[in-house]
Amino acid sequence: MWYILGILTVSIGITLYEVPYLLKKNLKRESWAFFILLIFGIILSIVESLNISISNPLDWLTFIYKPFTDFILGLLK
Amino acid sequence: MIENGKISHNQFKLLVILCYIGTSILLTPATLASEAKQDAWIACILGLLIGLLLVMLYNSLANNLYNMTLVEYCEKVLGKWIGKLISLLFILFLFINCSTLVYVLGNFVTTQIMPETPIQFNNILFVIVVIIGTRLGLESFARASEILYPWVLGLFIILIVLLCKDINFENLQPVFEYGGKPIIKGSLLYVSYSSLTLIPLMMIFPAYVKNTEEAKKSFLSGTLIGGIIILIITLLSILVLGSNITARNAFPAYILAKKINIGNFLERLEPIITILWFITVFYKSILYFYGAVLGLSQILKLKDYRTLTLPLGMILVVLSLIVYPNSTYADEWNTTTWLSFSLTYGFFLPLLLLIIGNLRKNKSKI
Repeated sequence: MWYILGILTVSIGITLYEVPYLLKKNLKRESWAFFILLIFGIILSIVESLNISISNPLDWLTFIYKPFTDFILGLLK
Repeated sequence: MIENGKISHNQFKLLVILCYIGTSILLTPATLASEAKQDAWIACILGLLIGLLLVMLYNSLANNLYNMTLVEYCEKVLGKWIGKLISLLFILFLFINCSTLVYVLGNFVTTQIMPETPIQFNNILFVIVVIIGTRLGLESFARASEILYPWVLGLFIILIVLLCKDINFENLQPVFEYGGKPIIKGSLLYVSYSSLTLIPLMMIFPAYVKNTEEAKKSFLSGTLIGGIIILIITLLSILVLGSNITARNAFPAYILAKKINIGNFLERLEPIITILWFITVFYKSILYFYGAVLGLSQILKLKDYRTLTLPLGMILVVLSLIVYPNSTYADEWNTTTWLSFSLTYGFFLPLLLLIIGNLRKNKSKI
């Protein structure tokens, strides 16, 4: 609970810090990118703080690279 | 041009050295000793030679880049959509790598120095520093390297001098006890920790470095100096601790610093290696983070990369907490999948770009 409050406080702080600059310069693309990434970050942080297991990107990489890894390590056996 | 700063070739050399030393200074001796036992130093020399060849490949790629970063060049050579896809994968590589660096640092601090502090807060503090550095821009952190590098070198020399009396040459014998294969495997792993991780430098070189010809020489000499530093650390670990203890510890260089004892008066000098390592890991992380942020803003055609730093920093902290569930997983991953993962982006990607780029150049001449 406290963690979620903390995360939301931090994200509001980040938004307040960045938005005036974006509005002043009228940067549309940057604003889109910023908010999409921020929302993604907030969701990830909240899921992590609730101790729900997120699938690990390294596991996918291990799965994708398995044939190649086996080939290289097989050469060096 | 998003970044309008330019750095000198000397600053670039220091960035190469710091990036090369990076995590290797703590992790390489253990990996090499567990693979090649007392022949680790031979694997180190072999790895350095392979690393210099790799840097020559990067230098020849730099001839084609002119004033483009790797991401822009991808788009130019491979066409708009395939280029964007490959660049996005490359940025993911940088980002995942950056999160593993943050994990390694947080893990080191929580296991060795501050066991009471939760790892999350260490990571958050470290990422905040990296974000500040990235927001200040390339010129600032390149100049800061000129201030911090003498500290790295000075502390390193202090470490060597104080360990001289503990050296035991019998630890190096017998040479070539296990034949050539373990040495080759060890050197390949060493290359994947050191030279293959120099690829984020292609995001700033040659686009933002003043004198390209001089910078190429700096790239080579920087790699050589970094390699010699790692070689000395590996040799010292084996000479002082022996290959068994080196292979068994997660951070042999740290144990080395603990061994310093001059007449029961000068003891417990671990902070030497800690400070040295903080500086080098910070530079490695900031180069990765900077490369990822800059690349992402170039793919999306943004005018300013600084707005992306804070949200990406948030994601980076979360990623650093989930990439390695524990150190056993980390060791396993670093010696298997990491090898092919780093080869893909550190060797095959530049090679592909070089070949296709040269073919296209010749076509346009005819």
